[in-house]
Amino acid sequence: MQEFIDLLREKLVEINEKPKRCKRCLMDETAEGIVFTETGCNYCDEFLKILDNPPKKINLSLEELVNKVKKDGRNKPYDCIVGLSGGVDSSYTLVKVKELGLRPLAVHMDNGWDSELAANNIKNLVENLGVDLYTHVIDWDEYRQLMQAFFDADVIDIELLYDNAMLAVCYQQANKYGLKYILAGTNSSTEGMILPRNWNWFKWDKKNIKNLAKLKRIKIKTFPAIGTLDKIYYEFVKGIKWISFLDYLPSYNKFEALEALQKQFNYKPYPYKHYESVFTRFYQGFILPVKFGVDKRKNHLSTLILTNQMKKEDAIKTLQEIPYPTEQELKDDIEYFLKKMNWTKDDLKDYLQRPEKPHKQYGSEISLWNFFKEIYKKINK
Amino acid sequence: MIKTRIIPVLLMKNRGLYKGIKFKNHKYVGDPINTVRIFNEKEVDELIIFDIEASKANKSIDFDYLKEVVSEAFMPIGYGGGIKSVKDAENLFKIGIEKVILNTHAILNFQLIKELVKNFGSQSVVFSLDYKKTFFNGYKVFIKSGTKKTSYKPEDIASIMEDLGAGEIILNDIDRDGTFNGYNIEMIKEISSNLSIPLIACGGARNLKDFKMAKDAGASACAAGSMFVFHMPHRAVVISYPRYEELKKVLGEN
Repeated sequence: MQEFIDLLREKLVEINEKPKRCKRCLMDETAEGIVFTETGCNYCDEFLKILDNPPKKINLSLEELVNKVKKDGRNKPYDCIVGLSGGVDSSYTLVKVKELGLRPLAVHMDNGWDSELAANNIKNLVENLGVDLYTHVIDWDEYRQLMQAFFDADVIDIELLYDNAMLAVCYQQANKYGLKYILAGTNSSTEGMILPRNWNWFKWDKKNIKNLAKLKRIKIKTFPAIGTLDKIYYEFVKGIKWISFLDYLPSYNKFEALEALQKQFNYKPYPYKHYESVFTRFYQGFILPVKFGVDKRKNHLSTLILTNQMKKEDAIKTLQEIPYPTEQELKDDIEYFLKKMNWTKDDLKDYLQRPEKPHKQYGSEISLWNFFKEIYKKINK
Repeated sequence: MIKTRIIPVLLMKNRGLYKGIKFKNHKYVGDPINTVRIFNEKEVDELIIFDIEASKANKSIDFDYLKEVVSEAFMPIGYGGGIKSVKDAENLFKIGIEKVILNTHAILNFQLIKELVKNFGSQSVVFSLDYKKTFFNGYKVFIKSGTKKTSYKPEDIASIMEDLGAGEIILNDIDRDGTFNGYNIEMIKEISSNLSIPLIACGGARNLKDFKMAKDAGASACAAGSMFVFHMPHRAVVISYPRYEELKKVLGEN
């Protein structure tokens, strides 16, 4: 296992210490399309603009939004959906939504990689808040095959599977109960910095998922994929709105949220963003840097620097360390990953050495998405 | 350690976990390896895994896969499902299973329990007594994952198994399985009062108070499936296990 850890350390030096870095945030030349400006870079300039004025799906104050959700949900078993991963953002969203007197149905997607932390946090929250929960459990064998197809294809966004399914399940549940609002933990304060195009992939790509499955003759039985046309159907025919709820709060501060969750709900924190799933932390903390040369912490930490939640020197120090609390924890995750995927060490070595291939190579609906986006923009001019 | 053991029960089929109601309508609830890992981190003292298809479909035991599951666990695991011979039990102990749990083949062949006890000792041989109320004849014992009725009454088979040397009996009420209606306290009282070996209550647990009631009725341990897997009312899957302080308090143990 030590050789994998050495490999990660080597790679982190290569991608974090040499490339030219923005003078204000942590974004650097590993980000496609970075332009260094007088004040910083295009990524942080843009982020600050968004932060000043977060783009809201519905242009209302918090109070107005809450009243609207209540009114539209009258006589229904719930008035909104809250997607719940067990992470800080989604957990805090659920707490606030409930505090404001809304009647949410919490929706969780289980892809076979939930950590004990996630299970613990979800259980404590829904129990203490008295919120109903719905879990969509994807058949692990099916999910494992889909992941294997993504690994075999050498595409960067393995998490497209989780993210796409989570979107799908939230819309499906909203539709089932005739609800108009999905209040999500997505937010500008900690997530508003746009990810470089080469760091992940477009999340509504049902075609990409289906094509990769087809290549490996995988039958999709329980995986709830969602694509452009489904999105149009849910959003425009059914009127279901995905709302970045935390942007409506006067000020969302991750550390304050964490403290409140720990105090009130026996919430167990974890060291980095999105570490509620064992695979997600292994993907972000190991696979992305080693195979794809991407250290996502640069993006997350940059948002914390720009919102004055962290000092830049401290963030730079963090980047020099492996994205795991200890080497042992990384070793445990590697072993667990090999066991779950039924891989040998050589399979992992081989995978890490192969060059990346673009998602587009396997067929994608991104151009369809962009086409509709253009039309939408023109109509709304 | 808590004196009254509180044991999660996992039902396995084709390398997936399932949960049903009254031994029927099984719904997929997740991946055994990940679930065992979560229970492991929750510091659960003991775990029971039943393969619900092995005996019913006359399949052989999936030793390779069980080995993978067991290697993820720090706690002792009792396994039941398709155990037909001393050799089967030996292989299970080899891969790290601590207790073998018998139902179908213990009833079809009384000698099997005796031989197992002779080879491995009482403490590692458990009998799972699955029973259900029948239309005309009161409570009867069932085998093959609750699909086949026998002519035995629960109290008779419990005493036979004790005499054969079984170290523990899991008393599983099929009609209460997955219903969140509470344990069958009367049956626990009746069976435990005639037994000198430990009795594990199973079937129907909905909350911590049920554990206390089962304990007071004479159970040495309580097993539960749905309660540790589902959140009501949508039977949403979320793995849970009570904290020690809560258990101690409710069970009145120090």
